[in-house]
Amino acid sequence: MSIVAVSATDNLPVPASGDAPVVLPTGEPLPGPVPGRPRRGTSTIGTLLLVTADAMVLGAVVAVYIAIKEGAVTWPPSDVQVGTYIPTMITITAVMSAFSVQWGIFAARRNDGRNAVMALILTLFLGLAMANLEWLSFVRSGFGFNDHTYGTLYNVLIGYHLLHLLAAIVVVLVLAFRTMAGHFSTDRHDALRAGAVYWQYTNIVWFVVVTVLFLLSRHG
Amino acid sequence: MAMTDTEVEQGDQPGPQRPPERNRGGTGPSQPVADLPDAWPKGTDHKYIGSLFVAAALLFLVVGVVLSLVMRAQLATPEATIVGDRTYRQLFTMHGVVSVFLFLLPVWLGLGSAIVPLQIGAARLAFPRLHAMAFWLFLAGAAMVTAAPIASDVFHGWALSDPIPVKLGLPGQGPDLLLLGLVLVCMAAVLVVVNILVTILQLRAPGMTLRRVPVFSWSMMVSGAVLLLALPVLIGAFGMLFVDRHYGASLFSGFTGSRGGNPLIWPRLFWFGAYPVLWALLIPALGAVSEIIATFARRPLFSRDRASAALVGIGVLSFAGWGSEVSTLPRARLLFILGALAVLAPVALLILNWLATLRSAGSAGKGGDRDALRGSFRATPMLWALGMLPVLALGLAASVVSALDAGRNAHANYWQVGQQHALFFGAATIGAVAALSFWGPKLWGRRLSDALGKLEILAVVGGTLLTVLGMLLLGVQDMLVHTSTFDSGDDWDIGNLVVSAGAAIVGLGLIVLVLDLLGSVVTGRGRPAGADPWSGQTLEWATPSPPPRHNFDALPEIRSGTPLLDLRVGQSRPAQPEPDPVPDGGTA
Repeated sequence: MSIVAVSATDNLPVPASGDAPVVLPTGEPLPGPVPGRPRRGTSTIGTLLLVTADAMVLGAVVAVYIAIKEGAVTWPPSDVQVGTYIPTMITITAVMSAFSVQWGIFAARRNDGRNAVMALILTLFLGLAMANLEWLSFVRSGFGFNDHTYGTLYNVLIGYHLLHLLAAIVVVLVLAFRTMAGHFSTDRHDALRAGAVYWQYTNIVWFVVVTVLFLLSRHG
Repeated sequence: MAMTDTEVEQGDQPGPQRPPERNRGGTGPSQPVADLPDAWPKGTDHKYIGSLFVAAALLFLVVGVVLSLVMRAQLATPEATIVGDRTYRQLFTMHGVVSVFLFLLPVWLGLGSAIVPLQIGAARLAFPRLHAMAFWLFLAGAAMVTAAPIASDVFHGWALSDPIPVKLGLPGQGPDLLLLGLVLVCMAAVLVVVNILVTILQLRAPGMTLRRVPVFSWSMMVSGAVLLLALPVLIGAFGMLFVDRHYGASLFSGFTGSRGGNPLIWPRLFWFGAYPVLWALLIPALGAVSEIIATFARRPLFSRDRASAALVGIGVLSFAGWGSEVSTLPRARLLFILGALAVLAPVALLILNWLATLRSAGSAGKGGDRDALRGSFRATPMLWALGMLPVLALGLAASVVSALDAGRNAHANYWQVGQQHALFFGAATIGAVAALSFWGPKLWGRRLSDALGKLEILAVVGGTLLTVLGMLLLGVQDMLVHTSTFDSGDDWDIGNLVVSAGAAIVGLGLIVLVLDLLGSVVTGRGRPAGADPWSGQTLEWATPSPPPRHNFDALPEIRSGTPLLDLRVGQSRPAQPEPDPVPDGGTA
């Protein structure tokens, strides 16, 4: 490396020759190097990072669940009777909504606003159906928050998904209105994609919850 | 969270005064950049919000220092009765919480979000409004944390494990405020971190490849990635503790079994998140010092790639050692010992990198100039950076012992206190102050006082060394962490007196620093900084101080990690016959 020492007193470097780059404060703006706007996909990447952080919160809850389950004599407690009907229905609905929200993106990408709005509204209805079923699973569980640790973790995990689902419903609602207003097009649908990433993440939360609560624990 | 995210995206939607056709690609031809950020209110300027974060952090630094001085006054002499045991434990708890979550975390979030866009040649952060929201969220959380000890006793230690504040027997709203406040603070931090990461990924100026991202920005990226993965664990942990307190869930109390949880889970969960967080608060300090040493050595780092790799190494390995802080170790003790040791290696490599940079700057054979280097040793930021070296070295040495003793004695006595204060308070704080004296003139247009700066360095570095040595001595003498008073027969008099004296000196230095900032910056009495007071190497020095709202009117061509250094080299050798006289600065 042959870097030449420069005295500490020189402030802004001034180019020696005419074709050298010019720096502030008064220089001509050069062709090219000016700070650009965010590139495409900025919202999507931001959502992906937020969702990663969110997954770590879920991870903490799941870790506590597994630690307590491993230390328990009977798990779930013998008086717990949770049917598998409601979670199965929610899972099927979640899979359907995964397709419908993707349909919305594909439609927006083809500049097909009509189909995009229809897909988002369908997604909304599927989301509301899931929220309804989840509420039912709270009411019908037959145990409360503080009956035993299973009850706590059951409610925390399902409530965690329910909160995410409600947020995702609001997001999709806003996106549906924006689609109706014609905000999205072939080369401009970053917000839509970010919203879809969040919706799919919400579905992934559900699959994790189902795996932990029902597939990893024997029922009945 | 995604809601705000998509809302921020709406800021990009076509407005009435914006042309429908826009060039959104960063690499396109020249375009005016002033329109977008200037159209927004000042409350979303990353430099403004970043400065607010720094100001809040400094406020809480004073709070943390005052708390620790009261504690040290109590422990300065044997059988003192300044504060009782319960009050001492409250002070202990709040000192830890305030220092980590309300000082070190926001000071780096603030400096990072203010400096990173300038360093990578961006006009703004990726999500400016999210950034503003994060600050006010942080402030609300900080207010709740501050209100906690006023509401009711909070005496659980900063790990909230002593005892774990579950419902039974520990009523009161203090722990609730503390938990919810910390959740808000951590959420705000996650939002800022996402913002910084997306900015680095998406808004770099043309020519600024990831490999050319300046070392401080790189360290913020690594630190951000660690915080992104570790802080949510704490959010989840605090949230579950809140559920435990309010709904009688007893996840973290009672006995193992289906009706009760397991008290052993809490420390493991907490340290799984908190241990990487502590390292993540040291990583930007290392990045800032790398930048300062390179600047005052007037050359790129000895090996930028290796420095970057070392920072990544610290980030990755910081997840491996959490078990060393847990007193009831899970299985695999050896694994955690190795993890806690392994993370020290990249730190040592980074120090070697700095020394090699200084060495080549001082040797004439490598284009260096010993006298110029000596001259640059008189600059305040450089002195801060050099002052960090002994503290860091002491911290590393203490950490080796600490790691080998994972889960045993050293983690229940003052050895742990000394080790953590050397690495995570001493080195990280000195790095933060170095960064403030280095970039403060850029952000606020005023230089700090040089005379006071030297006094501060003497006090903070000297006092930290004194404090840490005293703490390590007490660790050897087996003084326990929560000791609030001791008998004269314990032989702890000298050690405690040394620690108290050191803490008083550090406190004095830090308070002088805050006064210095108030005098030079806030009242504007400091010397004007000029655009480039240190003849810097990275893009932030190519714009006036303080920078305009949109950061840059124009950027120099970026062909290495040190574009301004390239300019100077081209300037001093204008008649080179080669078509490309600019050296790659060790990056390409």
